[in-house]
Amino acid sequence: MRATRLQRAAVLAGSVAILAYTLAPFLWMAIASITPEARHDAGTWQSGRGIEYLPAAPTLQNYVSLFTNLPFAIYFRNSTIVATGTMILALVVGSLGAYGFVRFRFKGRGPLLVAILMAYMIPSVVLLVPLLVIFRTYGLINTYPGLILAEATNTAPFVLLLMINYFSTLPRELEDAALVDGCSRLQVLVKIVLPLSVPGLVAGGLFAFIATWNNFLFAFLFTTSEATKTLPVIMRLFALGEPAVWGVSAAGAVITTIPVALLFLLFQRMLISGLAAGAVKA
Amino acid sequence: MTIRSPPVALPASEATPRAAPRRRRVDLLPYALIAPIGLLLLAISLYPALDAIWLAMTDASLLRLARKQFVGLQNFVRLGGDPIFLAGLWRTLRWDVAVVALELAVALPIALFLNLRFRGRGIVRAAVVIPYIVPPAVVALMWVYMFDGTFGVANDILVRLGVIDRYVSWLSDPNGSFAIIVAAMVWAGQPLMAIILLAGLQAIPGELYEAAVIDGAGAWQRFVYITLPLLLPTILFIVLLRTIWMSNHIDMIFIMTRGGPGFANYTEAVYSFMLTQQFNIGYSAAVAVVLAIILMVASAFYVRHLARKVLA
Repeated sequence: MRATRLQRAAVLAGSVAILAYTLAPFLWMAIASITPEARHDAGTWQSGRGIEYLPAAPTLQNYVSLFTNLPFAIYFRNSTIVATGTMILALVVGSLGAYGFVRFRFKGRGPLLVAILMAYMIPSVVLLVPLLVIFRTYGLINTYPGLILAEATNTAPFVLLLMINYFSTLPRELEDAALVDGCSRLQVLVKIVLPLSVPGLVAGGLFAFIATWNNFLFAFLFTTSEATKTLPVIMRLFALGEPAVWGVSAAGAVITTIPVALLFLLFQRMLISGLAAGAVKA
Repeated sequence: MTIRSPPVALPASEATPRAAPRRRRVDLLPYALIAPIGLLLLAISLYPALDAIWLAMTDASLLRLARKQFVGLQNFVRLGGDPIFLAGLWRTLRWDVAVVALELAVALPIALFLNLRFRGRGIVRAAVVIPYIVPPAVVALMWVYMFDGTFGVANDILVRLGVIDRYVSWLSDPNGSFAIIVAAMVWAGQPLMAIILLAGLQAIPGELYEAAVIDGAGAWQRFVYITLPLLLPTILFIVLLRTIWMSNHIDMIFIMTRGGPGFANYTEAVYSFMLTQQFNIGYSAAVAVVLAIILMVASAFYVRHLARKVLA
């Protein structure tokens, strides 16, 4: 059955409407980031901008200012370290735990899993105050390990769930054969199961990285020094109008978004099927 | 979580008959595999959650943490007469309903559209998901920027269209700010719903539609009598999930207006968070604990759903 001209027009119109809705805000931010600031060199460092839909003289000056007038490179580095660290922690503890739950029948399996799921469902709001107290007591405020631990509250159980789903799809016979051939059970995990699970591990790791990169709440609460602040914390200062230079703020927003947007575009098939599995915590 | 070790000093007469079953050693490996994540979550989720209940019964302040005193249920009694908390219940409900209903209203048509077969569908689907990947703090920044009172693009467009005759400071108005924060949240949150609804749509067997066509059912009838009923469980699931999350959501509201103007956008989650900013953590914990208790029933459904899926 071939599509009629009317149907094709309708599909086109629908696509354009959806693309406009989801991309326009970001496009406008990108335009703002290359729009020159009228009073940029006046020493006041204040926006004097009007609305320019197509900047007459596009410039990269805002990006230069971002890195020269602000310690933006440090924020970027902090975000990278915390997101990478959380990703590794969540992958290690999540996949080990998932393998335990999938391949073994043991006493307390059900209750333990329910306890972990309950821990996953505890809202961050409830954890804010006690974690703040605990982190202060143990000197974890303004440290990478502190932030990584806090971020793991959400990401580790998520990776666990994802990997439970993934391991369940692997054929058991392969592992049994390796056991017969004299592999220890840990060797089976490392040499057979993990190599077969690379797609699942990549998806879980990406989710952990993106969720941590994007997380504002813990980063805001558990960092007070410039040396450990992450990008979302700076985005909030920008949203408050500080520094009052919209072009620079917009440049910061673009730079903050690019790493996760790139990761998404590269691995979108995996990530979308992960989203559809429906266990991601926002 | 650990395996109980055998009692140390058993009388010889008792030890002998018990030794036989114990020879079948308990397999420690699964416990060792689960221990890292179990201990981690015990330390940073389960224990803190219990600690929150304890802190809620103290007058703890970040300014004098060592000298907190047990005050029993005083904080909870105080909540009953706290106008911000009581109005917060309504504001939370209003926020939940507005965001989740609008997300559904945006996501369902998008999911239905993406379920059609057409060239370039992959590109459109990727574009749909992009807002979900953008950091929420960036989303907040973008929407604050678009609706700024002096150089916001929304004002420019609306004035050109003749909808308003002069620039409006949207975020300084109680209703305006609510509308803008909801709009930003819906923009950022709808992709998840669209993708999950799309997965639900794709699980509906095509034969049902073919049979309906043969029986002479029109597009609308097929939607009402096949799509909607079969999609309903998915819709209920995602609505439940989003309602829990939105009740706990802080980022968008806090970043865009700090819950303001005034207390206009103080949901319970935002209220609890703002109290930590005033160092009043005992009372903050009380607000959070009450919110969690209210949401517990809904969360229990979700945990049961997940556990059943995983343990099956």
